Amino acid sequence: MSIRHGLLALLSNGPRYGYQLRVEFEASTGATWPLNIGQVYTTLSRMERDGLVEPGGADDQGRAVYTITEAGRGELERWFSTPVDQSDRPRDELAIKLAMAIAAGDADLAAVVQTQRAATMRALQDLTRAKRTAAKEGLAQRLVLDSMIFKAEAEQRWLDHCEAVLKEKT
Amino acid sequence: MTVVSLEAVTREHGQVQALRDVSLEVARGELVAVMGPSGSGKSTLLNLAGGLDRPTSGRVTIEGKDLATVKDLAALRRGSVGYVFQDLNLIPSLTAVENVMLPRELGGVRTRQARQEALDVLSAVGVDHVADRFPPELSGGQRQRVAIARALVGERRLVLADEPTGALDTATGDEILQLLRDRCDAGAAALLVTHEPRYAAWADRVVFLRDGQLTDSASAGLESAR
Repeated sequence: MSIRHGLLALLSNGPRYGYQLRVEFEASTGATWPLNIGQVYTTLSRMERDGLVEPGGADDQGRAVYTITEAGRGELERWFSTPVDQSDRPRDELAIKLAMAIAAGDADLAAVVQTQRAATMRALQDLTRAKRTAAKEGLAQRLVLDSMIFKAEAEQRWLDHCEAVLKEKT
Repeated sequence: MTVVSLEAVTREHGQVQALRDVSLEVARGELVAVMGPSGSGKSTLLNLAGGLDRPTSGRVTIEGKDLATVKDLAALRRGSVGYVFQDLNLIPSLTAVENVMLPRELGGVRTRQARQEALDVLSAVGVDHVADRFPPELSGGQRQRVAIARALVGERRLVLADEPTGALDTATGDEILQLLRDRCDAGAAALLVTHEPRYAAWADRVVFLRDGQLTDSASAGLESAR
């Protein structure tokens, strides 16, 4: 995904100014994707160039407000209707590390697995704490945190699987 | 304040060492999760912590009482320890409130008072509206809430939970953990056995059991992915 799609989604709710977009973006993604205000303005000016948004004057406090265009709505719709491709996601550092540990021959595989398991569990505990706080805040934030929890959980399961397979083979 | 403590506990079943030299403490207000594959000794650990089984060597204390010196273990269990299991939790021919009253009545509390205590704790876990229904008439999540109420009734300060989320879906499982977490924040101590990382993550501390030995979760720092 790109920042532009995120901003278009927020603008589809009505005109917004730059700082407001930044705050809403971070709130919706559970603060997992911090933006700086420069990124917001650069993205807005590129989208303006591409005809996806247009400046809509200023609000009562003189802040420049942007509005989504018909072309912008079309782009947003296209984005929502296109599934995310697995190959668009970055490679899995952990799987590669474990593969390399096997290739290296003399690495202590069980120790690599156990170290990672402890670290992933700490991350999972942090996410769960964040979710307890977010429970009072918003649905979008909660679901983003849930997604990260499910991913961390998948990694733990995979590590359990690695350990069982390693035990069997050695 | 330590509620339950295991000191250098070993449990042998014949030639097999189910637990080897395990030490673990759970304090008031603390939720500790034990993770490990099947056969790693998780249930043995829980049974020892609750006085359902005795160690071959080592010491188990509940609220400062050495279990080896306690004559009436059943009375100590009824008064101090609550259990929540994955299944076989509730007696189907008793209503929710009667299930929760049971350990209090066995402990000699009069029916009227036991009923009031049971209703109070059912209300604390959010299921007082189903107090007069029978277990088969409850949803899975409601049944586990009643089971947790039964584990807590009578000011018991130690809850031992063995896979309490059983076959529940993840949203309902999260609610059960939220509830256990709340009870710990209110001062209970809980020891949770689970093989599900998502539920273990609600704990203050997660320990891993491997072949009867503990490895703590607190260790090395993170490597950057870059």
